[in-house]
Amino acid sequence: MIFSILEHILTHISFSVVSIVLTIYFLTLLVNLDEIIGFFDSSDKGIVITFFGITGLLFTRWIYSGHFPLSNLYESLIFLSWAFSIIHMVSYFNKKQKNHLNAITAPSAIFIQGFATSGLLNKMPQSAILVPALQSQWLMMHVSMMILGYGALLCGSLLSIALLVITFRKVGSTFLKKNMKKKILLNELFSFDVLYYINERNSILLQQNINFSFSRNYYRYQLIEQLDYWSFRIISLGFIFLTVGILSGAVWANETWGSYWNWDPKETWAFITWTIFAIYLHIKTNRNVRGINSAIVASIGFLLIWICYFGVNLLGIGLHSYGSFTSN
Amino acid sequence: MSPSLNPLRTKFPSPLKSPSLYNLCNSRNLHIRLHLQIRCNQGSTQQKPNPKKKIVLFGAAPSVLEQKDRQVNSGDGGTTSSSTPSMWRFVKRVPKRALTLLANLPLAIAEMGAIAAFMALATIVEQGESLEFYTSKYSEENPVLGFFTWKWIVYPGFDHMFTSPIFLGLLVLLGASLMACTYTTQLPLVKVSRRWSFLQSSETIRKQEFSDSLPCASVQDLGAILMGHGYEVFLKGPSLYAFKGLASRFAPIGVHLAMILIMAGSTLSAAGSFKGSITVPQGLNFVVGDVLAPIGFLSNPLDSFNTEVHVNRFFMDYYETGEVSQFYSDISLLNFEGKEVMRKTIRVNDPLRYGGITIYQTDWGISALQISKNGEGPFNLAVAPLQRSGDFKLFGTFLPTGESDSSGKVKGISMLARDLQSIVLYDEEGKFAGVRRPSSKLPIEINGTKIVIEDAIGSTGLDLKADPGVPIVYTGFGALMLTTTISLLSHSQVWAIQDGSTVVVGAKRNRGKIEFSKEMNVLLNKVPELVSTNDAIDS
Repeated sequence: MIFSILEHILTHISFSVVSIVLTIYFLTLLVNLDEIIGFFDSSDKGIVITFFGITGLLFTRWIYSGHFPLSNLYESLIFLSWAFSIIHMVSYFNKKQKNHLNAITAPSAIFIQGFATSGLLNKMPQSAILVPALQSQWLMMHVSMMILGYGALLCGSLLSIALLVITFRKVGSTFLKKNMKKKILLNELFSFDVLYYINERNSILLQQNINFSFSRNYYRYQLIEQLDYWSFRIISLGFIFLTVGILSGAVWANETWGSYWNWDPKETWAFITWTIFAIYLHIKTNRNVRGINSAIVASIGFLLIWICYFGVNLLGIGLHSYGSFTSN
Repeated sequence: MSPSLNPLRTKFPSPLKSPSLYNLCNSRNLHIRLHLQIRCNQGSTQQKPNPKKKIVLFGAAPSVLEQKDRQVNSGDGGTTSSSTPSMWRFVKRVPKRALTLLANLPLAIAEMGAIAAFMALATIVEQGESLEFYTSKYSEENPVLGFFTWKWIVYPGFDHMFTSPIFLGLLVLLGASLMACTYTTQLPLVKVSRRWSFLQSSETIRKQEFSDSLPCASVQDLGAILMGHGYEVFLKGPSLYAFKGLASRFAPIGVHLAMILIMAGSTLSAAGSFKGSITVPQGLNFVVGDVLAPIGFLSNPLDSFNTEVHVNRFFMDYYETGEVSQFYSDISLLNFEGKEVMRKTIRVNDPLRYGGITIYQTDWGISALQISKNGEGPFNLAVAPLQRSGDFKLFGTFLPTGESDSSGKVKGISMLARDLQSIVLYDEEGKFAGVRRPSSKLPIEINGTKIVIEDAIGSTGLDLKADPGVPIVYTGFGALMLTTTISLLSHSQVWAIQDGSTVVVGAKRNRGKIEFSKEMNVLLNKVPELVSTNDAIDS
């Protein structure tokens, strides 16, 4: 009884703190709050509080139910929002500069947690017992690695979607205007190219020499490059987690049923996701290809992750039926 | 020369002369000059450019690859000489051309994309069903998406996608591409990265991704500072080469090799393994070789197939709510002579391994109910499964208690069981009579018949497997996990040349480029500035 109350309290704390943090971020968009430095610090602390809240929640469930809290869809969603809050915090520890990643992770954390507790999954929040097949040490490693991988890859692909939106928004709006402006459009696109080329060759001197004459394009270009860079880094990290998760799942299946790959729908979709992000990484290695192509691939990856995580569970068949909506 | 872009003198295409940009450039006195060099590589396979002069350090052992490289260079020269007959040259060139064709990156990306698309199709279309299923579901009268009938599914083999020729062919092609890429691109990388390549001119150094020049500095100081930051520094006269983190240069090679290993191992598994499953009531035996059936054409039976497996005991654990928590089988293995060689209690995630065979606990059932009726007995009543949906099972049996009625049906007592814990009894009319636990031995009286349930005998569902490819696949898995993690590290290289009293520095890194420039700045700031020019010329 105590545990369920504690669980309730922690859920509410983390949810409300994340909403506050989100509100602060949105406020900074509308109003220039750079002078009020305290606000940024408080959003840092807010995320730390959320992180501890969700950790406490998971811990409580662990103690209460006796098994690692990753046995059904609800628990894996809570774990996913926990992964987002970790990613958010890691970026604070590594860098001093403001990071665009934060704009992605905080809303994602709140959406996931909101969905999980919303009541669409009605019977889930109660802890259920583990069936014999799930009683294994591998459960911890396989599922947690997969969820961490999903979280990181989702962040990276959201950043790529943002990149695509920013790149094509200008082009789209300019296309709507008359053809006479076509020359200016081409100029802007080409000046884009010039900046890209210069930046590739010599980034340090560029930052010293360029007066912000290309100001609009330059800032936008800087933003795009940052997004590209960060999405590459976080997708690489997520890819490693995904690889380890898939492989540990294969080894677990071999220990339990004797074959390490059964072409289960969930396994197949995880492999498809892995393949798409491998394609992304390979496109990135080729420096002649523009960043847009890799961003398109990563955006496709976003859809695939959701199909892999949720879509397959809607079918409710196969080895992974523990996570389905219909299971109780 | 500092990079500067002069809109009037550049070779860049004309949009730079467009009014808006031009005005902007001129009005703010912006001068950026760009030097472009376009080099064509047509037909240069015949001629290799002069290899960089390799510098041998004084007092250090020469690079291990020098000997081999000289041989390779002369060997390459040999193949292109006109002394070999042209036919032989053609034959030798074909596999090389095939290799370069296979190692093409867009092709590999296309293959991966095609494999992903086919796998997605396989999850949408049900696999392994009968022909009637497909003809009825994807009938020709109203095809899906306007054209997708059952013919599209059955003829290319999409109903058994993962063993169909198209899919397997794509996998083989991807494997070939992997091997070709490893051979042509990655392995030469090993040679290049092990060579200590000094850059001779300051021109080339300035062309690096990050470059800077330090006036009034000496190369030795730079070397000392780099060593303090964990770089391996090589210094020869005025030039310097340093690197850090060599492992991540090799990591992609490791990744591809690991994948090839996994593919080889799984091919071996698919072609050479044995599989079988059996349901054994408690107390009975079976011989391993009777159960296992070969899967592929490379399957070779092992000696251990002679062992006999005896199920000593089958029991289950339950939660307080009554659901099954775990089921166990106590198994002994007896060899050909009948001697017990191994005994183990296995459960779901804990199989038994012996001589190449693995026995997994995957399922369970109830095989018989032992009852005594009116003091006579015990009788064994065979139990049949009534309903099996996932983890929820129901078993039942029937004890006839009398004459048949008018319609020929025999009347009796029905007993249902969900697990081995408790049996539910129903009387001749089908009304609920009572629940008994087998361990309690309490009698139950139903319409004059006294029944005591002595025991519920379970049967264990075992899966047996003999798979020679598993060690290879596990090694591949471990290597893949390790090498993908290593490839996240970064590999940095720094070149420097003492040019008079300035040191020209160029650097490159394969990951984390933005922090790299900051890190290099911090590093370069530490290089002491020499006040008098005399000190800088020492070497």
